[in-house]
Amino acid sequence: MTLDLSGSAPRLRPPTASQGWHGQLQLNFVYQGQKTVPLQPQTTAPLRLQRPFYPEGGVCHSVIVHTAGGMVGGDRLSLSLQLQPHSQALVTTAAAHKVYRSSGLPTQQQTQIRLQAQTCLEWFPQETIIFNGAQHQQMTRIDLEPGAIWLGWEITRFGRSARGEQFSCGQWRSQLEVWQQGQPLWLDRSYLQGGSDVLQSPHGLNGSPVIGSLALLGYTLSDLQLATLRDCSAPGSGDTGITTLINGVLCRYRGASSQAARAWFISLWQALRPIYLQRPGCLPRVWGR
Amino acid sequence: MTIANSALLQLLQLSSPALPVGAYSYSEGLETLVQQGRLSDAEAVYQWLVQELRYGAVRLEAAVLLRCHQAMGDRNFDALQSWNQWLSAARETAELRHQSWQMGRSLGQLLQALSPALQPAIVCCQPHCNFATAFAIAAAHWEIEAVIALLGYLQSWASSLVNAAVKLVPLGQTRGQQLLLKLGPDLESAVENILLLQDADLASSGWGLAIASMQHETLYSRLFRS
Repeated sequence: MTLDLSGSAPRLRPPTASQGWHGQLQLNFVYQGQKTVPLQPQTTAPLRLQRPFYPEGGVCHSVIVHTAGGMVGGDRLSLSLQLQPHSQALVTTAAAHKVYRSSGLPTQQQTQIRLQAQTCLEWFPQETIIFNGAQHQQMTRIDLEPGAIWLGWEITRFGRSARGEQFSCGQWRSQLEVWQQGQPLWLDRSYLQGGSDVLQSPHGLNGSPVIGSLALLGYTLSDLQLATLRDCSAPGSGDTGITTLINGVLCRYRGASSQAARAWFISLWQALRPIYLQRPGCLPRVWGR
Repeated sequence: MTIANSALLQLLQLSSPALPVGAYSYSEGLETLVQQGRLSDAEAVYQWLVQELRYGAVRLEAAVLLRCHQAMGDRNFDALQSWNQWLSAARETAELRHQSWQMGRSLGQLLQALSPALQPAIVCCQPHCNFATAFAIAAAHWEIEAVIALLGYLQSWASSLVNAAVKLVPLGQTRGQQLLLKLGPDLESAVENILLLQDADLASSGWGLAIASMQHETLYSRLFRS
């Protein structure tokens, strides 16, 4: 990737740049022959799906690639995932996702996830970096049928803080909804206005550029299991908390380091996975770099 | 804005600290923050409460209160039930959710005893009626206008948390009352903003509150309930 000092997108635009790119991905996982298979995945540029891996038996490890590395104003992404009964998939992304400064139009990402009976989706996108001046909206809706489990995380950095950039203008909105049989289990709607007092106030970000959430839905932990989770060592810096949701659990991070957030989330996932999936954690090989 | 004498009396009763719902037993994160040294004086408490009114969980509660009040006016129990479920699912921590449910249950039982006509509305929100929902049901029944009910709800919320801060920080009683008085204009502007919120605007940015409330669930020694 070219070194980007301006905050603008370091890439060639498609011919119809004024319209932006609309990347689409549709995945339909089915359980057949003792393993989970993505049946005829559909993608359009700039999204692409790598060939699935099976490092631990039947669980399908899939990696989504954004070939342009990020989004500019006017770009949209629409992702749709469905897991047919008894399928199990772990989905991650190949690299950090960047949302560049917008010249006016917002960027939008929509994700629809439908988990049928007795399925499990582990959803581990890598960090999203919201550049100063970005205007980003993301909406994720997850529908769980009985016996379906979703475990996902999201790590967001506001501004390229390593080079001292702050999120002094722009806007970020995130809406994540998890429903089960017509009832909302968890509605997580957040927004951040660039340059607002929320960035510094202890009630908001407290001067921290990174926030992260890990949630498990569709599985209620016993008190003992919750205590096990709370025994996982917290990251060396940043604020963390663990609580229960309606039929689920939520862990939040607020701090300076997306690496620390991810390391904590991996340790929580490793503690949780034997509980909800009766399997030890198995790190996707794309993270090995 | 005017209010009928009878409605004023009923609003005072509903928003009184003497209402037997146990509001005084919760600190909504303040106990954690005081123990961590993050809230050490009246000004810091004031700033925290103002942020909560502008960006936090209480803003969402208040917006749902308005919608439940409207649903009661329309006799639309489906809308009442779905906004109540919406609020339960939007609570970010178990502590905040259980507080809202416990206070809602207490107020619901009380309302059914005070006014049996309210039973169908309360029953449609079971098993978990949030406090803001029960408050809206009572206010609509007593014909307290939505905007006035909202002001009463937020004043009662602020009063409980100022009292918690008086015990925790600690602050003198007079300092606490000064703080509550100072919050007046902030409560008024919060009501103005919340009245304008569209459903699509219902979002918060209170990461600090969520983490403080989560940490309170495992705080070693505490005065307030979790």
